[in-house]
Amino acid sequence: MKKMRKITGGLIFDVFNYVFLFAIIIIMAYPMLHVVAMSLSKPGAITAGEVSWFPRGFNINGYQYLMKDEELLNAYKNTIIYSFLGTFFTLTFTSLAAYPLSLSGFVLKKPFTFYLAITMFFSGGLIPTYLWIKDLKLLNTIWVMVLPGCISAYTVFVFRSFFQSIPGSLRESAYIDGANDVLILFKIILPLSKPLLATFFLFTMVERWNSWFDAMMYLNDKTMHPLQMVLRRLVVLTDPTRSTYAHGDFAAMVKLGHLHPKNTQMAAVVLAMIPILCVYPYIQKHFTKGVMIGAIKG
Amino acid sequence: MLNTFLTRNKTVNTGIGKKKKRIKRFIQQRWLIAMIVPAFLILFIFHYIPIYGIVIAFKNYRAPLGIWGSKWVGFKYFIQFFQNPFHWRVLRNTVLLGLYSFLWGFPAPIILSLLLNEVKHARYKRFVQTISYLPYFISVVIIVGIMKEMLAMDGIINNTIAALGGERIGFFIEPKYFRSLYVISGIWQGLGWGTIIYLAALAGVDVELYESAIIDGANRWHQMWHITLPSIMPTIVVLMILNVRGILGSDTQKILLMYNPSTYETADTIQTYVFREGIEGAQYSYSTAVGLLMSVISFIILYITNKIAQKTSDYSLW
Repeated sequence: MKKMRKITGGLIFDVFNYVFLFAIIIIMAYPMLHVVAMSLSKPGAITAGEVSWFPRGFNINGYQYLMKDEELLNAYKNTIIYSFLGTFFTLTFTSLAAYPLSLSGFVLKKPFTFYLAITMFFSGGLIPTYLWIKDLKLLNTIWVMVLPGCISAYTVFVFRSFFQSIPGSLRESAYIDGANDVLILFKIILPLSKPLLATFFLFTMVERWNSWFDAMMYLNDKTMHPLQMVLRRLVVLTDPTRSTYAHGDFAAMVKLGHLHPKNTQMAAVVLAMIPILCVYPYIQKHFTKGVMIGAIKG
Repeated sequence: MLNTFLTRNKTVNTGIGKKKKRIKRFIQQRWLIAMIVPAFLILFIFHYIPIYGIVIAFKNYRAPLGIWGSKWVGFKYFIQFFQNPFHWRVLRNTVLLGLYSFLWGFPAPIILSLLLNEVKHARYKRFVQTISYLPYFISVVIIVGIMKEMLAMDGIINNTIAALGGERIGFFIEPKYFRSLYVISGIWQGLGWGTIIYLAALAGVDVELYESAIIDGANRWHQMWHITLPSIMPTIVVLMILNVRGILGSDTQKILLMYNPSTYETADTIQTYVFREGIEGAQYSYSTAVGLLMSVISFIILYITNKIAQKTSDYSLW
């Protein structure tokens, strides 16, 4: 009797639960499917408002047009440079700073930990930082995109804890063999920290790839803008009913009905998302660690 | 007497010895010290010096005069902010956007992870997770871009409304929709991601608890209510403390992308106001003062929540 009740009760619950979760999937996936569908649909179907989650007709003119768009390609290149360089500096400088802190005998352990911790609670804020970077003549340079955010106290502390979990005997035997600490870090500690480095590499890359605010603050030179800034001009700032590109080529294609402005807009969004989707399966392996990074930062 | 003299003498001796030892250790550890130099310099240049720059909140900053040369004006800019008719609006928006995000956004991942925990088919569960985590990795620019596209006058949502006989809505023009759009898009992006930490906590729950509960006649609701929920309670408390301090820190970047002058009424927060006045309006001292005021309030909230956390649980931020 009891067993029967449990099963039926569970069944109703299961049905409700599975349907609800299916609704979640649809809500999560629909906007992304809609973007892809819009980018591939025939201009006529877009104008008629027929496009939902699946492309109506087939049209890759939006993509073809963007592939020739120098501004976007240049922005892509800039983003790749900023992301890789920024991530490289983050991982290198963080490892360098975290390693001495992981050793109990380090003379500056206490003062440096304090120095780092201060930055978690106090910052100069938007305007003083901007003015100082302006004074340093760093506006419109690659350095402003790469250096200011590359050290975070929290990341250093995470690295330190990870290094502490590596047996100290390894370091000591290398030390006796005459290796200095820089060598020990790069030859012994870092090879043993691959999971940590992989996690931070992926998450830092994604964060850098998606960032736009620093570029808006510090880069006036449009040829230096990263991808997200070009996307912002394309899909956020413009009125979607107006053509984003005024030049003749584009206008002619629109007039002839080969292309809808929304084709290019949504194609640009898809092109910006593709790299993220490519690394997504790898990121999934590191979710639980990544969430710790995100929880504090966010 | 003699005893204390002896001990004091002893400490003095070791004190000198310690100093010598310390210098020796510095020399020994020169490599280690060299290793922290890049991080030290970057934080010094990009973090510490701007903190010093806050003094311009109390000065009438003129670029040619520099921070040093500019004249002191005391609390002039703070008073100016409170005399500004907009101060109430930006304070209210900052608090309300943060509060609504917290009230709706905080329970959502808890509910989803409780439901995910009840899924029998591991594959279906993994599929839901994979899809729902994805929005977290999409940039704010793209999210706002998609919203603007879908909610445009000729977008899919308005087309549907029109097809159902309703009137098209200017979602990004009318102030009354801004808060909902802000909160909903935030949940859309963070919902799946937020479940990870709870699911990790749930993975550690003893299966025997469920088994014995079933023997005692507990149905699925009972199990969820009496076993699953209590086992993630510590995690909930910790995250709640972390989130409360974020209430004043609304997502400035998203607001800057989403708002426009017609929605300032509900969208303009302290941070976006600082950005506009400071960067776009070049009122450096005034905006620094407003930003500083905000930081001070945030810090007080952080301090109070941390004190409460220390008293009520073992968890503390420092």
